[in-house]
Amino acid sequence: MNTLIQTFMERRGDLLTALWQHLGISIAALVIAMMIAIPLAIWAVRRPKWAEGLLQLTSVLQTIPSLALLGLLIPLVGIGTVPAVIALVIYALLPIFQNTYLGISEIDASIEEAADAFGMSRLRKLFKVELPIAMPQIISGIRTALVLIIGTATLAALIGAGGLGTFIMLGIDRNDTSLLLIGAISSALLAILLSALVRWFQTAKPKQALTVFAAIIVLLGGGGAYSVYANRTETITIAGKLGSEPEILINMYKDLIEANDSHVKVTLKPNFGKTTFLFSALQHDQIDIYPEFTGSVLETLVKGNNPKSMTAAETYRLAKQRLAKQDQMDLLQPMKYNNTYALAVTKKFKKAHHLENISDLNGVESILKPGMTLEFIDRNDGLKGLKKAYGLDVTAKSMEPALRYEAISKGRINLVDAYSTDSELRQYNLAILKDDKHFFPTYQGAPLMKQSFANKHPKVVQALNKLAGHISETDMQEMNYEVNVQNKSAATVAHNYLVKHGLLKEGN
Amino acid sequence: MTSAIEFQHVQKDFNGQTVIPDLNLTIQQGELFVLVGTSGSGKTTSLKMINRLEPLTQGKILVNGQDTTTVPVRELRWDMGYVLQQIALFPTMTVAQNIAVIPEMKGTPKKEIAQTIDDLLTEVGLDPAVYRDRMPSELSGGEQQRIGILRALASKPATVLMDEPFSALDPLSRQQLQDLVLSLHERYHNTIVFVTHDMSEALKLGHRIGIMRHGELLQVDIPSAIAQHPVNDFVRDFFGASRAKNVYDVYIGRVGLVQGYLADQPSVAAGKIQTLDTQATLRTAFEALTTHDYVAVTEDDEVQGYLDRQKIMGYLSEHEEV
Repeated sequence: MNTLIQTFMERRGDLLTALWQHLGISIAALVIAMMIAIPLAIWAVRRPKWAEGLLQLTSVLQTIPSLALLGLLIPLVGIGTVPAVIALVIYALLPIFQNTYLGISEIDASIEEAADAFGMSRLRKLFKVELPIAMPQIISGIRTALVLIIGTATLAALIGAGGLGTFIMLGIDRNDTSLLLIGAISSALLAILLSALVRWFQTAKPKQALTVFAAIIVLLGGGGAYSVYANRTETITIAGKLGSEPEILINMYKDLIEANDSHVKVTLKPNFGKTTFLFSALQHDQIDIYPEFTGSVLETLVKGNNPKSMTAAETYRLAKQRLAKQDQMDLLQPMKYNNTYALAVTKKFKKAHHLENISDLNGVESILKPGMTLEFIDRNDGLKGLKKAYGLDVTAKSMEPALRYEAISKGRINLVDAYSTDSELRQYNLAILKDDKHFFPTYQGAPLMKQSFANKHPKVVQALNKLAGHISETDMQEMNYEVNVQNKSAATVAHNYLVKHGLLKEGN
Repeated sequence: MTSAIEFQHVQKDFNGQTVIPDLNLTIQQGELFVLVGTSGSGKTTSLKMINRLEPLTQGKILVNGQDTTTVPVRELRWDMGYVLQQIALFPTMTVAQNIAVIPEMKGTPKKEIAQTIDDLLTEVGLDPAVYRDRMPSELSGGEQQRIGILRALASKPATVLMDEPFSALDPLSRQQLQDLVLSLHERYHNTIVFVTHDMSEALKLGHRIGIMRHGELLQVDIPSAIAQHPVNDFVRDFFGASRAKNVYDVYIGRVGLVQGYLADQPSVAAGKIQTLDTQATLRTAFEALTTHDYVAVTEDDEVQGYLDRQKIMGYLSEHEEV
């Protein structure tokens, strides 16, 4: 509970921004969904066959898993707020359409007959008779849609639209329950609050309701307009993937760029999403730079077969070459550390059995008790391939990622898979064995940007190249440890590193 | 008298089936005309063809001499009040808003509408201050239908159509509302076409009654003619079925209808004649005839005719065995 409050106090500012984004996305989606679904339902009331079809269609739309829907939208509209809002609108259509349609079509036939018999025009009947009678049901549909939207909007964080989902994603990624709870509770509270507001709209006098509604729209619209205005000033936007490591890196980028050119302002978008989202954002000029890994480029971003057992330098060259050719992008010089799969043992175990390289494991096969993640065990570039490449004969127990560190520290297992910069390596006093046969693909971090951007901003390129060849695995482990475990801010950690290693003058 | 509504060779088909083959009927200006028949006789359909809620298959209907299809439908309906069996007040509107529906569309000034609403409410015995802003759900069934009638009358239409307006009400409310219709008609002299399946209601309200079966008008006549000279057994039975179960409960007015009244006012002392309302039962009449020689049957204090013991014994012996 104390950590929850502490985290809350530390993150107040972020939370407010996230809440605002969340609210903006949700209300925009709701208003658009209403503007589509309500007129459509009114139109469909006199056309039962169409209504049936539309009901089916909206139901089908709602069964599409939200992640799949977001994935489908990326190639069409890119990432950010637009696809998030579109996805939310699609989810909100069914409850609003259905309730409006049923609300009107279930009106007593005699009431309809009376309205006709008094010579009401179609529109007058709609506004004076049908909509007022159906209103409670329409409002309840809107409330259902709203709750649905606010819940689903947490997924917007996945495609860089921000919102409370950022807290949840970050919480999951860092295994930080406080962050997760703050995100989830805020989202639930927001849903309850807005639902109550909508119910108030129903009972409020039309004038009051209209005033409040207009105020909300103006407020959100104003916020939107302001952010557009604020973004108009010449700035460079740097984004990072989920997690502490990219956040530390982009803070370094910011410091270096701003120190090198006082006329440039850098905006950071940490925890912006996963690989493909970021790449798509870069292609669509929604961001200017983000740190990418050489291995990831070859694995997921570019086409072409990858030769086996490449050195780090070969991997970088191939990645840079393919990016330039296929996507007109520039991958700058990588840093030193390799964030890839690795095998780790306790430092004690390493010393006792004189282990240095993975091939040294051959001598101690009989006493090995490996505990590894299911994914690693099953991958061809994981344990399966590793056993072949090194001629190892071991059988690993599959374990949850978090559990295997606990298990090795308690001595129940003595060999784990890891990412080479995991802060847990530092936390549990583990050491990495060297991949002497270059089996694991190399994942070296480097700034990725469009070639056109690089050409236009030579000073930025110059600043970022200062990082080339710096930061070792242990450095990164240490910094991740400081952010994830010691709860230091990524900006501070990044700044301290740069100053300590003479890349930045103190005071900048 | 000029004709208000005229059916000319009207035919109506539903799904290829002819339900009304050839209807011809003329309703006079200011007349309270009752269409009566069993369910499925086509009486409600006939009514709804007048304000074009139901389109005609063949023939035409003239309202004030004009073919209804040549008049814009909304204007036709603005000048034609409509009262439904289901009452169907608009549930989200107050009593006043319900009554104001047609005047508002016609663009009547707000002040005038408000005045009309208050006048009408007062006229049907509902205090405007109490009822004006009530919602329909806060009213009893009888009160709701009073508002239903006021809603139809609010723009002083030349014609009012009533589709079994009282069949869902309790007997007491029904009687009160029938009286209300009579008194409102007395005051405004609109043409009223009233549809019912209840012969007693038809007899009480109608200047003329049209009896329908299978889409055909069997007989159109004044009540006494229908009572005394039914055109066929169906009309006779339909009329007979409207009589009270217990002979003591038969209205004295009905005896007059069936037997006809004495031709002349009896030349006896006034003390020998007992005055009774048409709604008085035979039970009361028997008691009166033990001390008086004649009864004078009155409606709204107007003498309809005179009956003596012979007339009443004649009714009892000749007619309407149960």
